[in-house]
Amino acid sequence: MHGPDEQKFRVYENPWLHLALSAICTTVSELFLKRGATDTAHISEQWGWTGLTGLASPYVWVGIVFVLGSFLTWLYVLKHMPLSVAFPASQVVHVTIPVSSWLVLGEQIVTVRWLGILLVLAGLALVARPVATLEEKL
Amino acid sequence: MTPIALLLILISIAGLVAGELFLKHAMQSTIAGGFRQRTFLLFFIAGLVSMTIYFFLSLGLLQKFDLSYLYPFQGLSVIFISIAAAVLLREKLTPQLVIGSLLITAGVALVSLS
Repeated sequence: MHGPDEQKFRVYENPWLHLALSAICTTVSELFLKRGATDTAHISEQWGWTGLTGLASPYVWVGIVFVLGSFLTWLYVLKHMPLSVAFPASQVVHVTIPVSSWLVLGEQIVTVRWLGILLVLAGLALVARPVATLEEKL
Repeated sequence: MTPIALLLILISIAGLVAGELFLKHAMQSTIAGGFRQRTFLLFFIAGLVSMTIYFFLSLGLLQKFDLSYLYPFQGLSVIFISIAAAVLLREKLTPQLVIGSLLITAGVALVSLS
């Protein structure tokens, strides 16, 4: 009774996969939110600090859809992984967001920032190991 | 960076940390009790409120600063959340996990300093 269906189901249930999906959605959402926030920065100096003026931009609404996608996958991660493992692992976005800001938005990344990104990657490698053993147990 | 901007960043981090703890507790409660129960609803709503405050404060800050500069400040939340998970949720912190989390925080700080 070990058909391909069962295997597919297992892959789908993997919290690690949901963590990756959540990180991708977060990265995409931030790019949209930044674009929308930049477009609406001039609207009101008085209310700008609340962020509410950002809602005038359609980019912000697309960003919100990706935030929701990230949120739903993240809830699944929270249900099945310890927070002290899942949250540090979710910091992979500190690599993906600066790199995509550089590639998509044309923001600059100086040498020190690249070093910081390498440190985050090193930390992620350590943090991800308990997750790997957790998967084996499941 | 003005003091008010720093204060707004700190409040947004506090919202994120509280939100993650509330949501983790809410989701954990569904393993035994499902979704139709008081603990899940209370903590889920508390988590949503905290996350909403965090979201709009972040959006306001995004209007004034570069994304790749602003976002890494949230790396500080790794330390706060790890400690809170150990103390409040009684999760076990292995030495490997602690070193990994500190490396991530250091890396994130380096990214935000530049």
